[in-house]
Amino acid sequence: MRADRREEYSLTDQQRADRLLPVVRERVRDHRDRCAAYDRILTAIDTSGHPGTGLAALPWLPARMFKTHKLRSVAEHEVFRVATSSGTTGERSRVFLDQAAAAEQSRRVASAFRTVLGPARLPMMVVDTRPRLENGAMAARTASVVGLLPLGTDHTYLVDEDGRTDPRAVTEFLGRHPTGRFLLCGTTVMVWHHLYPLARDHGIDLTRAVLVHSGGWKRLHEGGVDDATFRSRLAEVSGLTEVFGYYGMVEQLGTIFLGDSRDDTYYCPDLAQVIIRDPRTWSEQPVGVPGVIEVISALPTSYPGNVVLTEDLGVVVGIDDGERPGRRFRVLGRLPRAEARGCGDAGGGPR
Amino acid sequence: MSTLVERLCPDGPPTPAERVPPLVADSGLAVGDERVVDVLASLSQTWLGARARADHPELAALGFFLRPAQLTAMRAELTGSGDGVRRPVGLVLHHPPSNVDAVLGYAWALSALCGNRNIVRVSGRAGALTARILDDIATAFATADPVLARTQLFVGHPHDDEVTDALARSCDLRVIWGGDQAITDLRRAALPAHARDLVFPNRHSLAVVNAAAYLDAPGWQRARLAAGLCDDVLPFDQAACSSPRALVLVGAQPTATAAWRDLRGRIRAEVDGRDLRLDPAMAVEKRVRGYGLAADGVAGTVEFDGEVMTYLGVPDPARLPRDWLGAGVLAIARVDECGDLAALLTDRHQTLGHFGFGREELRALCRSLGSRRLDRVVPIGTALTFDRHWDGHDLLHEFTRHTTISGWVTDAQ
Repeated sequence: MRADRREEYSLTDQQRADRLLPVVRERVRDHRDRCAAYDRILTAIDTSGHPGTGLAALPWLPARMFKTHKLRSVAEHEVFRVATSSGTTGERSRVFLDQAAAAEQSRRVASAFRTVLGPARLPMMVVDTRPRLENGAMAARTASVVGLLPLGTDHTYLVDEDGRTDPRAVTEFLGRHPTGRFLLCGTTVMVWHHLYPLARDHGIDLTRAVLVHSGGWKRLHEGGVDDATFRSRLAEVSGLTEVFGYYGMVEQLGTIFLGDSRDDTYYCPDLAQVIIRDPRTWSEQPVGVPGVIEVISALPTSYPGNVVLTEDLGVVVGIDDGERPGRRFRVLGRLPRAEARGCGDAGGGPR
Repeated sequence: MSTLVERLCPDGPPTPAERVPPLVADSGLAVGDERVVDVLASLSQTWLGARARADHPELAALGFFLRPAQLTAMRAELTGSGDGVRRPVGLVLHHPPSNVDAVLGYAWALSALCGNRNIVRVSGRAGALTARILDDIATAFATADPVLARTQLFVGHPHDDEVTDALARSCDLRVIWGGDQAITDLRRAALPAHARDLVFPNRHSLAVVNAAAYLDAPGWQRARLAAGLCDDVLPFDQAACSSPRALVLVGAQPTATAAWRDLRGRIRAEVDGRDLRLDPAMAVEKRVRGYGLAADGVAGTVEFDGEVMTYLGVPDPARLPRDWLGAGVLAIARVDECGDLAALLTDRHQTLGHFGFGREELRALCRSLGSRRLDRVVPIGTALTFDRHWDGHDLLHEFTRHTTISGWVTDAQ
């Protein structure tokens, strides 16, 4: 096997810290040279947001900066692709990739998933609609699917434009691929609301499938569905047992925090690290204590996204003690957005 | 099916919008009505009480504003013997802001004192303080003269054109506390020809300190100034229109630097003594906004002094940010002299908190503003103190109609 799990997820926590630090430091310096706005930020801020040593001492940017500002470290004419995502508030993060960065991020996504999919491209079913441009932009949900398309062949979409699932599409797909593994992917919510009922009601056999899914759990948790329920119910109705979540964000495109094969914890790829910060003191939380997730990645070369404070809450649950080496962390939910309750709301808002 | 209006206080079943105005049809109140004064005095006592004060310090200020002496004085003014008579305007429809909960209490109390029938629309986003105010009013109404419950109504309803239209159609005065968007939206609902709007659009405020005067002031006075700044900045997540968002030091560079160093230390001591907590979302919000201003080249420095306070050093005072920047954020700038402040004041500035300036200096500054709005020039520490004069309006006048009388004969004895 050309790519095995050692290739992308091989470093212990200490090895990772040692290797990443000089690389990311160099990236930060480089972005300062080439992105004036980023340099102005780092010149202006004190060190209160990133107390600590080593990787923890690197200055982070709040993820939302990529929504409010155009931060790029390449000349405008070198921009090959602009990746966007929409937040819940409708603003979009914009991340600028030159050709080299775009190629590298695709390679990283592929090699991350090869550690669970194997070297060959598998026939692929997408639990979503066919990606479609709307006003020149792609919906965030479909955009996350598009990044995975190179992993598979015979892309088959299970949901039509009206949000209905088509059992025939699955039957035909299975008919075309009667043996061997195949890939299923989609957001966690789509899998639960579309794939699960489809498999349950039509007795679809997914024993040969490997599912990769990502996205928020909020809606599922509200319905009383956690990772364990998700896994056991899918297994009961369809025989699906190979299930991997992943965590990632447009602000660090290509950095895939891959999930454990049995639960909802994630591992960092070798080029990345996760730090949980106490949002009051900003110092690093010890294992087991929740805080705000900061993600560090060596990958971004065309925009200053190497050290990003997410708006997710999380907790490191273990170090070098899981299926893969390094930190094992869980995402606990979104940080609520602070509202500008200015003298500006007299008539507003539904009750 | 039409949207129903929730009757929050006095409570009642959900009611179609067109049947809400008749609920307050009793026109039995006079300006300065004793029965209203009694209720307001009892509410004042409640809000000045220790329990209310501990839960919501803003309530104590409201209670103090409605203290019996003040009520008596305002009543005397309303009913006084001028060359005419003040009377209620009729039905007043209030859209108070959801952010500064206490405004609902002030606006309603003044309008009720003026003898008006009131319908107060409570925002769905209003916080715990609003709920507390409504609870206390409901309790007071329970033992008050029944005329109160027949003339005063607090309602909740979703944003719905039908409801807004129905309520607007029946009112004599509509009071909208910003922002600009809400005013524009609500104004789409037409008022009767005779009725009018009283609007409070988006405003912002700042504080100014005379650096030399500060350095000359004794320690206790500097400490009091620091405490006053905290009183102005910290409540309401600093989002009230009278919350200062910038602090401008007036004086030469070395003087201003020395004054700011000292003042900053005293603010830190004051904040630490108050044992405040900043919620994580707000902590991130402040970073996003501060870093953003640094990226834009507006803030040369972004400093976090402890958990609560954030200071943005703005080298060019002309670029002082005016937007809300999160709770506990001050943009710090310097100008050479008091007259230079005029260039920083926009048409949207409302309150100027000041320390260390003479009366004539401040008057000259205001005169130099031409027609630009600046409504209040107050000592630092009182920016949030509500006054019957707000945004340049005397609310007692706005909430009454004035009938002029002239050419009389002497009354028979």
